[in-house]
Amino acid sequence: MFKSKTKKHKGVEQLKSKYGRLFVLPWEIGLVLFFFIPIITSIQYAFSKVELTVEGFKTTWVGLEWFEYYLFKDANYFDELVASLSSFAVQIPIILSLSLILAIILNQKFAGRVVARAIFFLPVIIATGVVIEHMTAEWMTISLVASTGAENNYSSMIDFDAILGNLGLPEEINKLISGYIGDIFNLLWSCGIQIVLFIAGLQTIPDQLYEVSRVEGASKWEEFWYITIPMLGPTILLVMVYTMIDLFTQNKGVMESAFTLMKNAVYDKSSAMMWMYFLVVGALMALVLGLYNKFCLKKWS
Amino acid sequence: MLKIKKPKITARKAGELGFKIITPIARWIFILAISYILLYPLFYMVSVSVKAPMDFVDTTVIWVPKNFAFTNIIKAFNALDYVKGFMSTISVEIVSALIEVASCAITAYGLARFEFKEKKILTFILILTILVPIPMIITPLAVRMRYLDVFGILGFIGEIIGTDIRPNLLNTPWAFYIPSIFAVGLKAGLFTYMYIQFFKGLPKELEEAASIDGAGPVKTFLTIVVPSSGTIFLTVTIFSIIWHWNDTFLSTMFLSKDYPLSVRLSRITSVKGVGDKYDPKTVGVIMAACLLVILPMLILYCILQKQFIKSIDRVGIVG
Repeated sequence: MFKSKTKKHKGVEQLKSKYGRLFVLPWEIGLVLFFFIPIITSIQYAFSKVELTVEGFKTTWVGLEWFEYYLFKDANYFDELVASLSSFAVQIPIILSLSLILAIILNQKFAGRVVARAIFFLPVIIATGVVIEHMTAEWMTISLVASTGAENNYSSMIDFDAILGNLGLPEEINKLISGYIGDIFNLLWSCGIQIVLFIAGLQTIPDQLYEVSRVEGASKWEEFWYITIPMLGPTILLVMVYTMIDLFTQNKGVMESAFTLMKNAVYDKSSAMMWMYFLVVGALMALVLGLYNKFCLKKWS
Repeated sequence: MLKIKKPKITARKAGELGFKIITPIARWIFILAISYILLYPLFYMVSVSVKAPMDFVDTTVIWVPKNFAFTNIIKAFNALDYVKGFMSTISVEIVSALIEVASCAITAYGLARFEFKEKKILTFILILTILVPIPMIITPLAVRMRYLDVFGILGFIGEIIGTDIRPNLLNTPWAFYIPSIFAVGLKAGLFTYMYIQFFKGLPKELEEAASIDGAGPVKTFLTIVVPSSGTIFLTVTIFSIIWHWNDTFLSTMFLSKDYPLSVRLSRITSVKGVGDKYDPKTVGVIMAACLLVILPMLILYCILQKQFIKSIDRVGIVG
């Protein structure tokens, strides 16, 4: 303390950085113990044969064997991977635009806004848990029952298939659209946090921008495309990343089969499976974000 | 001559008028439609929970049951072993959720307010912890919890004195508390990030004034920063409690008895006496169980809903 008084300015700076490190120190310890070491071990599992013995885990190095196995020999893995990725490709834009629309509506001032918001944030509470798994399972069986008409006592859903069929579109397109309509429940329910993030982002846009544009005579449509979207650039990025991670860690497709392996104590294969999945998703994510950064964020700013 | 002024209705004005009328109507139709989808499961849950068994086969009963009965709820209550599950959820999940609220704030303050060399790389690592999903590291993590060790020191001492002194944290709440204390627990990265964004937006002047008055950084943090960050604390607390309450993944890995409610709920179909999964009467019990499990969260949400929504407005999560 006395030393810092002699060289006051530099001393204070050093003191500040010292305290900064002090604040961060517990987290650093935690990071090493509960993040880095497990990650390294998990990578090690992916490259070795793991056996459970009395003394604990015994690992023998096998190199790329599991990766080769899943890439070239396993019949399901590749299909599952492609299926998961293509479903992301469809779901992410839908979730993004849906939650943006909802956020914009909820951000407007109208009577009953408080109630509407309270309802719209409900998914945040329920959708992260098991409840939603049970719900979607029940929902699916029930809507199945409803659509086959075997038992109509639960719900009287509108027959979308018939409506679409009357439009005279090709059957593939009908199937696609009715699939998404059936999915609307799931999609809406995964919008909770995204709506929250978008509303927070919308709040940061200064009102003056809209006032100026109104004076200039811009229509609402132009306001949306030339003010709202560019100003939301970083938020969209954040929401995109969040949605990707959320979808990616869902217990479906590749993740589901990896979990099943893990439950049966096959740790080496499940680790390899997940790491490969993570690498592919990570690479795609980096690509999308890079493109977004280059073509959207830079242009808007 | 009397001149009657005709109201000039230009195309543009008519369009604006139409817009003014149509927008609220369209908005309400949209909101009602989506509210219906969002509330449907809740209504359904409640409606099915209070149905008497005979109503399940009665095709005239859709929403309001003819015979109210609490058999489903009682069955679910027993199948969940609700009181025990509730206590274990409180002692394991809620406590670690609250610890995380504090520890993440401390870490975030260090990263948001101070300048030091490795800050950038630490912030990058923080983002990385948000990106890497827990399932990838869960097995080694569980092994670590079985034999907790700090850089091999305890194991080394154990080898010297001949007995294994590495503590077994599995099946104890400490497997949840310790990561939370070190701000690396469930979703801790996201919370820290939210805090950082908020702290960066706080005006520096107050803290500087406090430090000129002779308060150390710790005192400044406790007396200046914490009291003026009520909104972010509230938001993180709500999120943390909800995510911990709903978590099944860590609990199934770290515990093998005294499960919290969420795990009990996920296994309810395998509990004796609940019934066959595909029997419509079982749906009643499962839905009643779902209702029982989320009820505390719904109550919490109803109480804090106003502040929560306000805080979302004010928290600049996006910096």
